[in-house]
Amino acid sequence: MAGETGPSMILEAMKEAGINFVTSLPDHNLAKLLEFVDKDPDLKHVPLCREEEGIGICAGAYMGGKTTAIIMQNGGFLNSCNALTTTALNFNIPIVLLIYYAGDIGDEGFSTLGSVTEPVLQGLGIRCYVLRKLEEIRATIKGATTLAIDSRRPVAVLLTKDVLGMRR
Amino acid sequence: MRRYGCLQAIAEDVGDALVICTVGGAAAQWNAIRPGDGNLRCRTLGLVSSIAMGLALALQNRMVVALDGDGALLMNACALPTLACQRPGNLIHLVFDNGVYESSGLRPTATLNGADLVEMARGAGIKHACWASSVENFKQEFNKAKERKAYSLIAAKVEAGEDYRELPAFGVAEVENAYRFMRHIEKLEGIRVVPLPGPRH
Repeated sequence: MAGETGPSMILEAMKEAGINFVTSLPDHNLAKLLEFVDKDPDLKHVPLCREEEGIGICAGAYMGGKTTAIIMQNGGFLNSCNALTTTALNFNIPIVLLIYYAGDIGDEGFSTLGSVTEPVLQGLGIRCYVLRKLEEIRATIKGATTLAIDSRRPVAVLLTKDVLGMRR
Repeated sequence: MRRYGCLQAIAEDVGDALVICTVGGAAAQWNAIRPGDGNLRCRTLGLVSSIAMGLALALQNRMVVALDGDGALLMNACALPTLACQRPGNLIHLVFDNGVYESSGLRPTATLNGADLVEMARGAGIKHACWASSVENFKQEFNKAKERKAYSLIAAKVEAGEDYRELPAFGVAEVENAYRFMRHIEKLEGIRVVPLPGPRH
């Protein structure tokens, strides 16, 4: 059974951090969080067909005054690298990247994807925080949002199965 | 049909709309016709339609115009179903199809082989998508889209290889363009986009 505690805490932390515009592409492990995001009347939610377009949509929404996040799997993060570089980083656009960490320690499958995720984020100069404990959700998402806005850059939070309530 | 002529024809109708220009000559041409801080020159091939969509969704009372191209739209074709789903009524999406990657060596795009961008848009679920048959028709369709207040895509087959090198330079660095664009939006809308440092910074 998928836990609801982590996803609902993530949603509350996003709202408390001032995030009001979200783009997303599903992963099985993100299903509950995306269900909550979609239902929430305080958030504009734009479901995507490919993650890279989400970086553009978030960039445009930021220019229109929104505080934005994209929710995606780490494979989708790799799909987004050009847009992150030549739009978000190039134009100083803050976006909170909430990335499900497939191929994390303890997982079966996606280990190649897991192994390149943090090095690619570092290569792009995008600061990244791994969320493993429920009690750290609120401070990490709030802190990442503040850091993104202040540095005018994307900041990544890697969501593990532990906080998504999906660890078996 | 020439893109420059199409842009000249709609310049007055665009008014003070925010304009996002794709990578390539369209930005230089538009900036020569309507210079100013209300123009953003996109630096990621394809992302113009997505940036314009995000901006239009955030500022629902402000007209946003996307100047897109065939190479760009083909690269970010997944924007079409997303646009069909969101359909921001304040976004007019203009697509100039010259059949080539204009700013990267004039090599052909798939539209020269028959890929039809308007059929792709319709197939993606976009209700108002059309080809303009002439410069006059392009202007008519633009004004119909303005009145309709429903997301509309207007495409035009234009000549390849329009010379834009003699036009005035864009004149601002990329990041400066973004900041000036955002400060322009702040003034227009009376909002704060990029926070200013406080006294204790």
